[in-house]
Amino acid sequence: MSKSGGIQRLWRKEIIVLDGATGTELQKKGLPAGVCPELWCLENPQITKEIHASYKLAGAQVVYACTFGANRFKLEQYGNKGNTYSINRDLIRLARQAVGPKVLVAGDIGPTGLFIEPFGPLAFEEAVDAFKEQIHGLIDGGCDLIVIETMIDIQETRAALLAVKEIKDIFTMVCMTYENDGHTLNGTDPVSALITLQSLGADAVGCNCSTGPEKMLEFIELMKPYATVPLIAKPNAGVPRLENGKTIFDMEAPVFGSFGRELAEAGANMIGGCCGTTPAHIRELAKALAGFSPKPPVRKSIGAVSSSRGYLILEGNNPLYIAGERINPTGKKALQQELLEGKTSIIRQMATEQEKQGAHLLDVNVGQPGIDEVMTIKSIIGLLSTVTKLPLIVDSSKIETIAAALRAYPGRMLINSISGETEKMARLLPLAAKYGAMFILLPLTDGEIPQTAVKRQAVIKNIYSSARKFGFTKNDFIVDCLVMAVASDPGAAQETLKTLKWCTENFHSKTILGLSNVSFGMPGRIWLNAAFLAMAQLSGLTMAIANPGSTELMNIKKAGDVLTAKDKGTQKYIEHFSDKQNVMPGAAAIEILSPREKVSAAIMEGNRENIVSLIELALAADITASVLVDKVMIPAIVRVGDLYEKKIYFLPQLMASAEAMKKALGFLEPHLKKSAAGNKGKILIATVKGDIHDIGKNIVALLLRNYGYNVIDLGKDISTRDIIAAAKKESPDVIGLSALMTTTMVNMKEVMDTAKAEGIKTNFMIGGAVVTESYARSIGAAFAKDGVEAVRVVEKLIKR
Amino acid sequence: MSPVNIFDTIAIDPPYKKVYHRLGFQKKTTELTAKQRKETDLFIEEALSFITVKGCTLRTVINENDGSNVVITGDLTFASRKLSRFLDGCREVLLMGATAGSAIMEAIADKTGNDNLSAAVVYDATASEMTDAALDWLMAYVNSQLRREGKKLLPRRFSAGYADFQLENQKNIHHLLEMSKIGVAISSGFILRPEKSVTAITGICD
Repeated sequence: MSKSGGIQRLWRKEIIVLDGATGTELQKKGLPAGVCPELWCLENPQITKEIHASYKLAGAQVVYACTFGANRFKLEQYGNKGNTYSINRDLIRLARQAVGPKVLVAGDIGPTGLFIEPFGPLAFEEAVDAFKEQIHGLIDGGCDLIVIETMIDIQETRAALLAVKEIKDIFTMVCMTYENDGHTLNGTDPVSALITLQSLGADAVGCNCSTGPEKMLEFIELMKPYATVPLIAKPNAGVPRLENGKTIFDMEAPVFGSFGRELAEAGANMIGGCCGTTPAHIRELAKALAGFSPKPPVRKSIGAVSSSRGYLILEGNNPLYIAGERINPTGKKALQQELLEGKTSIIRQMATEQEKQGAHLLDVNVGQPGIDEVMTIKSIIGLLSTVTKLPLIVDSSKIETIAAALRAYPGRMLINSISGETEKMARLLPLAAKYGAMFILLPLTDGEIPQTAVKRQAVIKNIYSSARKFGFTKNDFIVDCLVMAVASDPGAAQETLKTLKWCTENFHSKTILGLSNVSFGMPGRIWLNAAFLAMAQLSGLTMAIANPGSTELMNIKKAGDVLTAKDKGTQKYIEHFSDKQNVMPGAAAIEILSPREKVSAAIMEGNRENIVSLIELALAADITASVLVDKVMIPAIVRVGDLYEKKIYFLPQLMASAEAMKKALGFLEPHLKKSAAGNKGKILIATVKGDIHDIGKNIVALLLRNYGYNVIDLGKDISTRDIIAAAKKESPDVIGLSALMTTTMVNMKEVMDTAKAEGIKTNFMIGGAVVTESYARSIGAAFAKDGVEAVRVVEKLIKR
Repeated sequence: MSPVNIFDTIAIDPPYKKVYHRLGFQKKTTELTAKQRKETDLFIEEALSFITVKGCTLRTVINENDGSNVVITGDLTFASRKLSRFLDGCREVLLMGATAGSAIMEAIADKTGNDNLSAAVVYDATASEMTDAALDWLMAYVNSQLRREGKKLLPRRFSAGYADFQLENQKNIHHLLEMSKIGVAISSGFILRPEKSVTAITGICD
């Protein structure tokens, strides 16, 4: 059956009814635990055919052959790796025998069970190869279409879809599995997946498994406005629950069937059932959908890009988009060095910073002499897919780099760029079409940079004409209007703006500018860039490649969005600038406090930055150091402890105050006649042998020091012998021991027993996650549940 | 027994609420200024840049569960009445392990050494919650695989060191899960290194 026939015609006329669950049906009919389901199906052909036939009888127009797990990795677990091709081929034939020629047989592809790099050990190309092996069997068996389903990893889904497309142009349906929070377990949402998969060539996209039909309605509703292909819904018979140790799917067939029309009204074009559904569920569904007119996709193309965990719709009257420009080694020595050394920490940091600063996409350029650009771009794409949700623009003059990026990128990429140069058009347009990427159209030709807007318009039209032959529409590219330096050509900015205006008003395309080129070679570059940005916004600019860390540019952008009526209700502008103004009243309020109160407030607020200057002010106001410590700081830190115990403060506030106190004491020490620090008593503290957890012990040590105790911290994983030796040497007033594990807690007793045997009569205080008051009592130690209590316990022990 | 499944990167959204909760934040009681919240969020983000969550799972059958001992693959016996009761009725178990990696532990030590405990405690809490979230993710992943078999994991999990399930069992769990492949070692005292690493066991219900 050709791709243009059969199902392609069918979905335009009616809602296609898909089959229901196979796995749970096989179990009902005797599939034992621990056997290979695919092989069992072949060994029990009658049962397998009965299931397929029952779905046909129920009204299914497509049945999925039992090939879900018939990939080399899953079959290998049952010793059948070498039979992948024949198992797939034979299972398709079995399904065909069961349903005859009028029902469509789908070759079913499920996940490999392994994760693809960077999430797991499987190389992308190895996954593509494995899927191809399976697909050859499915096609040779005579399947009418391919279904890729129950996917949670967009990269694995891409591998399967590419494998199909590289073998045969056959109708391919692709479904991912979304949890109740609207994401796959790897964090992909339905719209991101839709944008990625439909642009990569999926003929239908949707969701299956995980949720019941009610939740799936939401996913279909989310996808429909952006879909260029029919949508699929294959929900479970409700959400499985445990009852007396058994897993139950309890949505009855009539209830399930009643959701059919709702799913169709939401825009689903192909509907069936997944886990827990039966022929009865499909019968009810078919009944409900009979005669229902399908809602076709609302558009033929879409200007949108995606990453594995996010997307950006580049349509409508939206505020200016910012493509973060910083991941580019030009002029950045540290980044150049990092790329040469194969490191990624600066790139990771640049990505997260730009995302936080308001970038909508990230432009990535790894053009650095001395590195393998192809290997580097693949590795950076892998890294960034885990670090940021922003879609990427891959920026390279090398075709090989763009090709590698297109294959590796787990979303719909924006290529920067495709120019009118003969080789670039000939090689990059087919690549962009194969991977469904968007591209930046750069109006350059072989050996010439068109200087005027008129010349640029001609080149733009010419590239667009070539792109159309590959199926691209104006939704699929963004025109770079070419920014040249005004330092070398005073009219350069004007020609760019004319090109931009023409694209907006006449050519009706999206536009992009690499802003900072305009000011190259000029002083005060930021002001030229900012002014140029404002002018470009007025001319209808869609996207700017810029540094989102530039306050001037980002503020101009926000103001420009308001003045061009792209910031709806001026909301974003108000939100942004209201935040800034809110800082002022707090700063003003502190000015009315006395020097003492300011020091106290700084301790209470954990103001480590200003505590020393505030103490200097207090000293200058003739408040003595000892008064500051005894009458101001100690009461403040005691109050902090109280607030912590009442849960009004939480741990970071307690720590911040303790650090401010420590800094203050350190500064005041030379001013005190006799050091306040250390004169209240000596505390020896350690985490016992075998235990490496020391955060709690460190907190206790810091708080005790702030209260004037001399704390000798031996560290973590300290042997009994070393603790006893230190105790003999230091003669502390209290020994504090910490442990987090039940296995190491017993070492506390060993320390205490040894101390007793050696004649050490020092009081012990113990604490830690597993330590309880009763355990402490049983070994003769005092107990403190946290740092604040430890201070109180130590005070009591020393007074005793 | 299925082979060990290794997950080199587990992508999870940072559990901000749980980190705050672990640090003692109570929605109706704790009073936090915008500056303090911003600083805490910044520390969490810094911590996240040091964390690489990895995990591993192993699905295997229960050969015997007599109420006191659970015998799994290779005649490995877990002597624990509580675990035995927890797994009652299950024919299979899932062992799982996860780690936040060693870089975060180095960052915590660095912050502590530089007298910045307020950052260190937030780093510590973030790493703990990310590791815990990784186990949640692993369970959700396995549940998604089990659905087609009409099976489901028990909703909770059990760890060595809890109740009468001795910490010593962690040695065998560490070995079975091949945790060295995700960079996790175990000490003679059965403590996992790096510190923010965990193992757990749960049952698979038919």
